[in-house]
Amino acid sequence: MRVPPGVSSEDFSTALQQFEEAVGKEWVFTSDADVAMYRDAYSPFWGEPDELVASAAVAPDNVEQVQKVVRIANTYKIPIYPISTGKNLGYGGSAPAYSGSVVLDLKRMNRIIEVNEKNAYCLVEPGVSYFDLYRYIQENGIKLWVDVPDPGWGSPVGNSLDRGGGYLLPQFRNHFDSHCGMEVVLANGELLRTGMGALPGSKTWQEYKTGFGPWIDGIFSQSNFGVVTKMGFWMCPAPDSYLAGTVTVPRYNDLSPLIDILGYLENTGCTNGMPFFGSPLLARGPLGQAGPVPDPELTALLDREGGPDPDAMDAYAAKKGIHHWSCTVSFYGGPQANAGNWEFAKERFSAIPGAKFDLHGAYKLPLTPEVQAKFNLPQFGIPSLQMFSIGARSATNPTPGEGHVWFSPIIPRTGEAVFEANRVFRQAAKDLGLPIPPFSLPTCYWERAFIFLFGFPITHDVETNKKNRAAFKKLVAIAAEHGWAEYRTAPAYQAAVMNTYSFNNHALLRFHETLKDAVDPNGILSAGRYGIWPKHLREEAKA
Amino acid sequence: MASRREFLQVGIAALALPISAHAGLAPAASALDNAGPFTPLYKVVFDERFPASVAFGAEARSLGLPAHSIRGDITDLWFHDLDAQWKKKPAAVAGLTAQGPLFCLERLAWDHGMRVVFRGDHQYLPAGSIEHILTGPESVVNQAAGLQSDGDDWAPRIANLVARVPEGPSAPSKAAIRARAAAPASAEAEELISWVIAPVAGARIMRRA
Repeated sequence: MRVPPGVSSEDFSTALQQFEEAVGKEWVFTSDADVAMYRDAYSPFWGEPDELVASAAVAPDNVEQVQKVVRIANTYKIPIYPISTGKNLGYGGSAPAYSGSVVLDLKRMNRIIEVNEKNAYCLVEPGVSYFDLYRYIQENGIKLWVDVPDPGWGSPVGNSLDRGGGYLLPQFRNHFDSHCGMEVVLANGELLRTGMGALPGSKTWQEYKTGFGPWIDGIFSQSNFGVVTKMGFWMCPAPDSYLAGTVTVPRYNDLSPLIDILGYLENTGCTNGMPFFGSPLLARGPLGQAGPVPDPELTALLDREGGPDPDAMDAYAAKKGIHHWSCTVSFYGGPQANAGNWEFAKERFSAIPGAKFDLHGAYKLPLTPEVQAKFNLPQFGIPSLQMFSIGARSATNPTPGEGHVWFSPIIPRTGEAVFEANRVFRQAAKDLGLPIPPFSLPTCYWERAFIFLFGFPITHDVETNKKNRAAFKKLVAIAAEHGWAEYRTAPAYQAAVMNTYSFNNHALLRFHETLKDAVDPNGILSAGRYGIWPKHLREEAKA
Repeated sequence: MASRREFLQVGIAALALPISAHAGLAPAASALDNAGPFTPLYKVVFDERFPASVAFGAEARSLGLPAHSIRGDITDLWFHDLDAQWKKKPAAVAGLTAQGPLFCLERLAWDHGMRVVFRGDHQYLPAGSIEHILTGPESVVNQAAGLQSDGDDWAPRIANLVARVPEGPSAPSKAAIRARAAAPASAEAEELISWVIAPVAGARIMRRA
């Protein structure tokens, strides 16, 4: 059995015994076979000495048990790493950020405490998965939707604390923004409730976010300042109807007005579904999905030194008779409102000469199973594992890896930024020998910024992973040089990314560290998560 | 029953033997018919996108097993069937699918004290051959020699193998068998994996009922 670094075998053995007394012997896992379940399937260090692995795991059933475990960990200075369902593949999975930590597995805490249909919110524990919540809603005939990420086997608590996103209306799509109130076990074992939850007997914990005084919820996301044991979320009342349509525009430089007009439509609430950009010319779908390999003439145009020449691209598109860009917009609401908003969107997009429109359809909700099969289910609040069925092997990726981590810098929501990001990352990809597509389109999870998303392959080949890790860090640095930075990343890269948020001699990180030292002086909680190290490990981590 | 880790450890040693040695060790398939008891299979999953998987499913059905078709996505099967079943009582499932469905089901099964107890990787190689790398109970792996002569028609034999995974602890083994076989026409064909996920005594169980 592995022992956490800096902890004596004797202390660890005593702590494990006390964990067993706290949660029951059957809920403390120390065998190699059981602990192996917590490996990160997408670890960039897979099979290497530096792979982040747990020493043991403990699975409490309730808040009181979490408090006991945390107090024991504090007594013996055992590093612990809380996880919800541990399914954030590509962002670390269930493996700790500090190798040798004991995973505090909250999966057994899977109570759906309340779903309030009238005021559209829920209160859940960390072990509740999106599937659990969806099943509860379905079985109880509740007319609410939950905004689910892709895939849906993670937990609302874990995904929102990681600041993940979904596909519904903007106010739900950012999962941390859609939360309302949390309960947190602090490193000393004390229990804290945020927002209106701090009021004993509060009637509005899940109905008013900020309570009174400093609003501290944010410090518990992407951090290591407490163990969140309950969280409230605002949910989407089941919409009546859905309409989707696509606008295509002919010229290379039309991307800028296309984005600007979309921004107006979104920010005025005209379109409220998640938009998707594509390129008929490049045969690229949303999320950078690869289509067929482009013909060599087009690849040469895209690969031009200094970036594509708009006139040459336009000539190529005209020759082929294919529009350059597309944007699919969608509308949730009443049927007349959806139809009216689509007409208004068409009117606005028509400011771009040559714009063409394609109405996909207008549908009464819930969708019939036949219609539903045509769609990406998360767009209708339905969790799915469908993304795992998409063949990894393709013409552009004949030897797929074992998984991926996302390189996902935030860039401005402008056409100029998209062109610049493509120019910069395309050149970097060439220099680093990376399989980045010739042109990538950003995703629109957030209302005011784009995510420029690349899946970085993970293999079980040590040398390939080593090369990819170096390349990933290089891309992080290149992005930062251009004013772009990651919004979320796997533990292997969290310190590197945090290092780019360096304004005024890393004032933000130093503030994080000040908080860390105050609320977790023994540094037992999730050491290293998002680059925040406890005092006793800080110098070593930065060396 | 040995853990997957133990399978792999044994497998590494076993794989050091020449392939022909493995094949030579295998008894005739009929010898297994007197063995047992076999792990009862609650569902046998095949993917209708792949001809080999369809043949596997057809053979499973002819063996009286509850074959269930998917098209890559196991969400419906798991959400509407397996999840409820596993919450009541863990039950073994088998399949011949691409990596994605196995990846999901394996992880979903972990929390119910189940593990992959048999795995076969079936990879088409250049020059018209296929390699079957099998890891699992010795009694099953030893039955796989016939794959050498099956050629393109290998999938039904795999159905027979997964149907004969012994219930309870079993000595682990591994074998690699090559045979002549033409790769599927589609350039985008996924590598198929056969598998059995079954309850394993002493394995971690996580979910509350």
